[in-house]
Amino acid sequence: MTTAIFTSRGKGLTLMQAQQWAGSLAVVAAFGACAASGELGPLLLLLFPLALAFAFFFGARFAGKAEWAWTLLLGLALLFFGAQVLTGRLDIVLAAARFSTLLCIHRLWHRQGERDEMLLLLLSLLLLCAGAALSAELLFGAGFLAYSVAATWALALTHLRFEIEAGRGPEGSAALLQSRRLATPALLGALAALSLLGLVGSAVVFFTFPRVTIGGLRRASTGKPVAGLGDQVDLRRHGTIADDPRVVLRVRLNPPPKTTRVNLGLHWRARALPVWTGQGWRAQTAGLAPAVSLPPRPELAKPSRAGTYRRLESVVTADIEAVAGYSDGVVLTPPGWPLRVDFSRPLSARGTAQRLYRNSTGDLFYQPTEVGDLRYVVTVDQNEPAAELLRGRGRDYPESVKADLEVPVEIDPRVKALSDRLTRGRDPVDAAAEVERYLSATFQYTRELAGEQEDPIAFFLFERKRGHCELFSSAMVMLLRAAGIPARNVTGYFGGRRTDAGYFAVRAGDAHSWVEVYVPGAGFLPFDPTPPDDRGSQQESLWPRLVLLWDSIQQRWRVFVVDYDLISQAQLLKRAGALFSEAGRRLSGKGSGGAAFQAAWAKAIGGALGLALVAFLLLRRRRGQRRRVRGQTLGADKRRALRLWRRARARLARAGVVVGEATTAREAAARSIVAGPAAHAAVEELASSYLAARWGGAPLPSEWARALLRQLDSALRPG
Amino acid sequence: MSTRAVPLPAARPTPAWKRKLSFTRLGRWYTGLTIGIGLAAINTGNNLLFLVLGLLLASIVVSGILSEQSLRSLDLERRLPAAATVDQPALVGILARNRKKRAPSFSLELREKGGDVAGRGFLVVLAAGQSAEIAYRLIPRRRGRHRFVQLEVATKAPFGLFEKSRPVDAPAELIVFPRHVEAPLLVSRHLAREGERPQDRAGQGLEVHSLRDHRLGEDARTIHWKSTARAGKLIGVDREQELRRRVCVVLDHRTLSGPALDAVVEQAAALFERELDAGSEVGLALCGAGLPPASGETHLHQALTLLALVETAPRAAAPLPPQHASLLVVS
Repeated sequence: MTTAIFTSRGKGLTLMQAQQWAGSLAVVAAFGACAASGELGPLLLLLFPLALAFAFFFGARFAGKAEWAWTLLLGLALLFFGAQVLTGRLDIVLAAARFSTLLCIHRLWHRQGERDEMLLLLLSLLLLCAGAALSAELLFGAGFLAYSVAATWALALTHLRFEIEAGRGPEGSAALLQSRRLATPALLGALAALSLLGLVGSAVVFFTFPRVTIGGLRRASTGKPVAGLGDQVDLRRHGTIADDPRVVLRVRLNPPPKTTRVNLGLHWRARALPVWTGQGWRAQTAGLAPAVSLPPRPELAKPSRAGTYRRLESVVTADIEAVAGYSDGVVLTPPGWPLRVDFSRPLSARGTAQRLYRNSTGDLFYQPTEVGDLRYVVTVDQNEPAAELLRGRGRDYPESVKADLEVPVEIDPRVKALSDRLTRGRDPVDAAAEVERYLSATFQYTRELAGEQEDPIAFFLFERKRGHCELFSSAMVMLLRAAGIPARNVTGYFGGRRTDAGYFAVRAGDAHSWVEVYVPGAGFLPFDPTPPDDRGSQQESLWPRLVLLWDSIQQRWRVFVVDYDLISQAQLLKRAGALFSEAGRRLSGKGSGGAAFQAAWAKAIGGALGLALVAFLLLRRRRGQRRRVRGQTLGADKRRALRLWRRARARLARAGVVVGEATTAREAAARSIVAGPAAHAAVEELASSYLAARWGGAPLPSEWARALLRQLDSALRPG
Repeated sequence: MSTRAVPLPAARPTPAWKRKLSFTRLGRWYTGLTIGIGLAAINTGNNLLFLVLGLLLASIVVSGILSEQSLRSLDLERRLPAAATVDQPALVGILARNRKKRAPSFSLELREKGGDVAGRGFLVVLAAGQSAEIAYRLIPRRRGRHRFVQLEVATKAPFGLFEKSRPVDAPAELIVFPRHVEAPLLVSRHLAREGERPQDRAGQGLEVHSLRDHRLGEDARTIHWKSTARAGKLIGVDREQELRRRVCVVLDHRTLSGPALDAVVEQAAALFERELDAGSEVGLALCGAGLPPASGETHLHQALTLLALVETAPRAAAPLPPQHASLLVVS
């Protein structure tokens, strides 16, 4: 029982201890895989480890007692979960996961016999399946790996324990179960290796099992973003902006950027917040409508003559994976004019058809209905009109930008004065550029928030003279609006860090705020007054690097495991087929570079053979060392006797006499009668000499040993 | 005497590849869950469920391979006791020999299959090239021939999900002697005077038959010391031949059957042993069979074997006791 773990003394684990530890580990791994979803709830997350610890310490004391109370509790829990499922307040998979966790806790407290151990293992398997249904995180993968090892231990040791009990009875098995010579590290290592075999098999089944999906009874979505891009900004907050290293976007650009810089440094636009609240900014609430297609770029931006555009590659697609919980249903777009957004993910089990929405400020949205990350492709025209094309457009602004001109009634006169100083006599485009330059060059960046201020913008501009990106952008918007130039605050991310997995990671700490200025005929154009070196995430310490590494592994997990579908399967098989075909072609010397391939192949085979040879020699040397160690304790006659007996045994085996490692010399002599009386007599004599020399201390000269062998050979010779 | 009909062993030898696979209780649940998870994976397209399914299926495959590895190249041999008696425990050994050079066999259950006897034993591990013997306790409940047909080696290794077994032909039989009972207080009839009495010729008895000169090389125990002392030379002695008491146990089982037959057979066996222990030469007269009076362990074994196999024989000839023997008639 459980207390045996703590009462047994000595080194190593007894079979019973090892079996119980393995069972508990399997349950813990399964629970971890399930808890990785984060949906089990804090109560169960707290209850499970406590119950596990109590079961270890007091399980034996409570086992089998107060069964009625457990039954009552579990019955009530079942009714509770059932009612929640029926009323639609709880997903059935989640309810099953929670109830399975309770059943596991119950079984951990009642581990009395084979049935309990088997049930515990089956329940842990159910928990693992629930985890698979609830979570697609890499943590599930870690839990899965741990489970595969622990469950292999648990299954094998449980089987062994109860086979011994059944085969030998309670009394006969007690000594063996308490023996520390069964659950040795060698056995546990062998079982772990066995689990690796299982994992290899699992991978084979996983990659080759046809991905044909029926699609019925699919789990309903209950996704609720826990954080993300809000619809307002408050400039009066306290504290410090945390540099959150968690990845919020994974981006692949096509064509890939030519720069080799680690940081891509792009603006990822999320939302425009044009309405001043007196304490910050907020989004416009009206105007959200389905967008079948996106509006075309104004004519101004189209090429009219050569040399008016800054960039030659105009259309860029960004394959974006928005991490769950951060996007808040907002489509993030790279710099440029968005031409289309594509949500299509054919034949994916997790993807659902998305609809695109657009509001009056041009922000793009989707309905966040799926748990997990969402992938979409944004196509943008990155052509930007040259400055000369934007000048002289006048100040004839349409009604739609009226909100972008509003300034508070009680605006600080110093703001008005500064605005006049910076913009007087300038074209709106030049005025915006001047304000951008002035703020960027004059003010310092800090993540320390100023706290409660009556007029946060004036406090930033004239007293503190340092602040974070939202203050920079807010100041620019207010300075431009004070000069009668439509402008608005925009939020999103700035950055894109290159990863080993081939994508650019945008992190939560890259959250940024900048400005869009309206130019008649050209629409809103971006300006960023925050000093370039201070935009986005600033930390490159160990922790953010580790977070990126984790995300990179997670990304591979997603690509190769979570998102593996019929198309991926077909591609993989096709690629494997092509690989084998190419290898065969090259090996036969038909393909291009066949000689080089053959040379590489020969090198690989040579290397493998060399390694095998080294391993063989090492093994042989080790055996030799062992033999020498054994031989050192024996005298010359005893060693000779051993050699004599080994040779005699080999000869008898060849003659059809069944002689094993464990057969004694006398037994062999008795069995040798089948080879005839002469052989029997020869073996009798040889066995006597061997036993006398080996155990009786009698001498065994080498001539005598040879004579005995010759006699045996002649007796065994047919005819 | 006649023997009970015993089915003949299968004419065709059991092939070495023959296996039987059955689910354990855990295996049934495990397989059911695997099927359920497979259906759920196909239904939802959830790749992680496919991953779990892969693990479960791989475990089943690995389990199959390892259990086969455990059963391969195993030799089985039954070791029967020299004798067994009704209601007396006897040990039957099963020797397993692993002929594999490297791979051990795990979790082996060795058991009888198909015969009159059920017995089993368990081996945790049998290392490569090693032999091990298990023994099970057999308490026979009836006398007569007990037939053994096959041995079976089964393993649930490594996970206890399935039991794979391999039958091995090992035909044998064990004659179980009648139950030990108290011998009845029977006195011998006819020829009651027959017993240990001296014969008028030299032999191996106790009485002195004649005196003579001691011959060189003769056993010193043949010297008659008193006469030697009187004669002043070595005098040897010849002893008289003594005829041992001859008894014959007679059992007429033509009309007896069932428990009554068993009871008289047990009484006959008890009488036979009692007389043998008393130093008599004991014979056995059954319907259609018998043993001439003799003594010794082998003779006792033969007699008990005959008694163990006694059955109702209405058409058999009446028992024919030997001449010159006291009769002990059991009825």
